[in-house]
Amino acid sequence: MSFTEILFYVFSAVLVVSALGVITARNPVYSALWLVFAFFNSAIIWMLLEAEFLAIILILVYVGAVMVLFLFVVMMLDIKVEELRAGFTRYAWLGLPIALLVIGEIGSVVWVKSQDDKALGLSSVASPAAYAADYSNTKALGQLLYTEYLYPLQLAASILLIAIVAAIVLTMRKRSGQKVQDIGAQISVKAKDRVRIVKVAAVQPETGNTVEGQS
Amino acid sequence: MLQNYLPILIFLGVATGLSLLLLGLGFGFGALFGIRKPYAEKQSTYECGFEPFEDSRIKFDVRYYLVAILFIVFDLEIAFLFPWAVSLSKIGAVGIAAVGIFLLILVVGFIYEWKKGALEWD
Repeated sequence: MSFTEILFYVFSAVLVVSALGVITARNPVYSALWLVFAFFNSAIIWMLLEAEFLAIILILVYVGAVMVLFLFVVMMLDIKVEELRAGFTRYAWLGLPIALLVIGEIGSVVWVKSQDDKALGLSSVASPAAYAADYSNTKALGQLLYTEYLYPLQLAASILLIAIVAAIVLTMRKRSGQKVQDIGAQISVKAKDRVRIVKVAAVQPETGNTVEGQS
Repeated sequence: MLQNYLPILIFLGVATGLSLLLLGLGFGFGALFGIRKPYAEKQSTYECGFEPFEDSRIKFDVRYYLVAILFIVFDLEIAFLFPWAVSLSKIGAVGIAAVGIFLLILVVGFIYEWKKGALEWD
């Protein structure tokens, strides 16, 4: 077993533990933080596959941005943990068979196939040779992405455009009755618009009567 | 290629070891010499002498979410530009045209959000 393989098993074990933490943590904020840890470990596993650009993008985009969105949603929904726990067993009759089915499918692919024919099994796929030290994963990705996968790239741009439009349509609200400063109007105002000078007749201090002609 | 990342692995190991050591020391000394007598009043939130009347986790405005999701979209756009910039000498004019169309589609979205006022806070 090589050093890389040992690293893979160590970080996969940590990844599985942190994924279990995501679904078992009582507080949704804690499970979001467990998910951050899981993302870091899967980034390391991608790095072991020598996909360095994808590993760094996983940390930048998922840990840096997607997790912030998750935390926003958790805080905006104002989830009470006790109410969530109450519904846990109610859906277990549906969730458990689905979970067992998925486990069975994964097991059949990984285990049974590796026994029957060598086409899909783990032992039949040889690990690729390690790249040289000056190999640039980013460059290789760019050469494929902008020549062979042009159409999927434009599709990705369209999906991002849809995301912009959908986010604005769903969450933009103009609130009425706001007091907003209009700086242009403030500067261009004239003194006569604001101040009105009123002639008031003077009052004599002793008698309190008004005196005509004096000011 | 992976040997370039050996310093990071060593750093990860040192950081994990150091944090485990400090945590272990803190909890170990606490368990050995500390006195733990918790009760309800001691563990409740201290709020300047009066009863805490609100949960510290409150709902906040959905506009923060809008700002974050608009950030994510353009974050991804920049992420697509990195491999393009690195491999530009190999892909030539086709690559420039491809990224031109890619950016054009996203600029449409940018103009939309600017005109719609999604970048304004009020």
